[in-house]
Amino acid sequence: MALLEVKNLGISFGGLRAVDEFSITIEKGQLYGLIGPNGAGKTTIFNMLTGVYKPTDGTIVLDGKNITGKNTIEINRAGIARTFQNIRLFKDMTVLDNVKVALHNHYKYSTFTGVFRLPRYFKLEKAMDAKALELLKVFELDDKASLLASGLPYGDQRKLEIARALATQPKLLLLDEPAAGMNPNETAELMDTIRFVRDNFDMTVLLIEHDMSLVSGICEKLSVLNFGQLLCEGKTAEVLKNPEVITAYLGE
Amino acid sequence: MKKEGASAKTKFFKPQTRKSFITYAMVIVAFVVMQILSSGGYISSMLTGLLVPLCVYSILAVSLNLTVGILGELSLGQAGFMCVGAYTSAIFSIVTSETIENVWIRFPLAILIGGIIAAVFGILIGIPVLRLKGDYLAIVTLAFGEIIKNVFAALYLGYDSKGVHVSLKSLSNLNLEPDGKLILNGPQGISGTPNDSTFIIGAVMLLITLIIAYNFVYSRTGRAVMAIRDNVIAAESVGLNITKYKLVTFALTAFLAGCAGALYSHNFYTLQASKFDYNLSILILVFVVLGGIGSIRGSVIAAIVLVLLPEMLRSINSYRMLIYSIVLIVMMIITSNEKTKTFISANTAKFKALFKREKVKEAE
Repeated sequence: MALLEVKNLGISFGGLRAVDEFSITIEKGQLYGLIGPNGAGKTTIFNMLTGVYKPTDGTIVLDGKNITGKNTIEINRAGIARTFQNIRLFKDMTVLDNVKVALHNHYKYSTFTGVFRLPRYFKLEKAMDAKALELLKVFELDDKASLLASGLPYGDQRKLEIARALATQPKLLLLDEPAAGMNPNETAELMDTIRFVRDNFDMTVLLIEHDMSLVSGICEKLSVLNFGQLLCEGKTAEVLKNPEVITAYLGE
Repeated sequence: MKKEGASAKTKFFKPQTRKSFITYAMVIVAFVVMQILSSGGYISSMLTGLLVPLCVYSILAVSLNLTVGILGELSLGQAGFMCVGAYTSAIFSIVTSETIENVWIRFPLAILIGGIIAAVFGILIGIPVLRLKGDYLAIVTLAFGEIIKNVFAALYLGYDSKGVHVSLKSLSNLNLEPDGKLILNGPQGISGTPNDSTFIIGAVMLLITLIIAYNFVYSRTGRAVMAIRDNVIAAESVGLNITKYKLVTFALTAFLAGCAGALYSHNFYTLQASKFDYNLSILILVFVVLGGIGSIRGSVIAAIVLVLLPEMLRSINSYRMLIYSIVLIVMMIITSNEKTKTFISANTAKFKALFKREKVKEAE
């Protein structure tokens, strides 16, 4: 059974049909790419998958559970985490705390326990520190744990956002233009990281990207979106050769 | 690998722990010094009379900083919550002054009741109000504060052998029996509150407030609240319940304001609701802003300086408010201007470096 099954997803904003009849099936462990020209509706699809927008029609099934129309928090608990096109870190908090916030729903103690520092507080905080540092180590950010998130260089901020998303322990990770603003070296490094995450965290990844070197380098399957509709889907190499895709998006 | 020693040290004593302990130590030292001075008779009676209000204002500033600095929402209803705490605790103390004679049981109970009822008000007001943001939230909380004040100012309350009598119209509408006891007398407020507040209790309460505030900020809940402040959309995306944590913070702020109100009302024999007007709310906000938004220690220092300053300047009465306003402006420039901030931090760093070098020289 597929991890994510989206059928005939559609949304209208007033008279504008932003996404129409969009379907996608992602198997567990896949690295899946979603590409298309600007304004095609890629981020809108992410927003529907994560509950920011409620789809007007269609169904979203994650791991056999129907999550259509649920709110962001419920969907995050069901197992979808995301990063954002324009980085959204908790900028006045430390790198470590950014990750610890995302561990929130997995290490629970009450406000009372926290305020009065009961033994459970110390036990869980210690466990959270260890878990967060372990995650940061994967992204080589562990030595920057005590810096403010806003003080990190751009590439590290992107990485921290992925680390934070992973800390919520999702089944599906959505990356919205992870390579935006990166130079070729950083992009190559990011590709290794994404592969590493997929292999070591048993993760399924759906990503939006304009950088074709990244898309052709790591995505196994692609869906191409144009004017809110699915243009074509299939194996990466085949899709990128498709004449329709070339005229609509890649250019001749 | 040379960093190992340093990291082991920081693990044992996290910077946040050090920060909070320095603040606790400052409060304790200030308390001891004032206590010694006042027992030796070195300070004026006016200053002695200010000791409890100083604690009250510090607690109010710290608690408002949780909403303004940590949650990042502007609330102007602080005086309203303080009013609830002051009135309910005073009513409790008056009613029970004969049944519970031990002050050490009655007063903490009164403070707790004042705090809890203020927190209930905080939650009731917070549920509709916290959907608003920024200026709108400030306006609505300001209005709620005024409503609370005016309701208490119009409230007549008394009890006699037939039970409790409440009226919002006039004293004669209360229909009290001759043996009855009047507790709330409308705009004339409440009188006969036992004077239970002392500097020791005030200082202990301030210390407890600081511990609660610091522990709150550096806990799971505090992290969630700060994440909501920094980026609501991202906070939702990692599964945080926005409404819940906004309410928790708002309720905690109201609780502490209620406790401060209880301390305040037990410092005076009579108390009118008109004291809890919006000027007071704004004064507390001024403490928070000038102490540095989000800085708990700064709130305490700003509250103490800005309460003491006008009193200290009484001898030059005609220039008093002039100097006060100049100090306000200077503090505002120093604490909010990015350039002056970097200038100050750079110079303190230089100063520290200088100090260190001399130490090294001495060691040599």
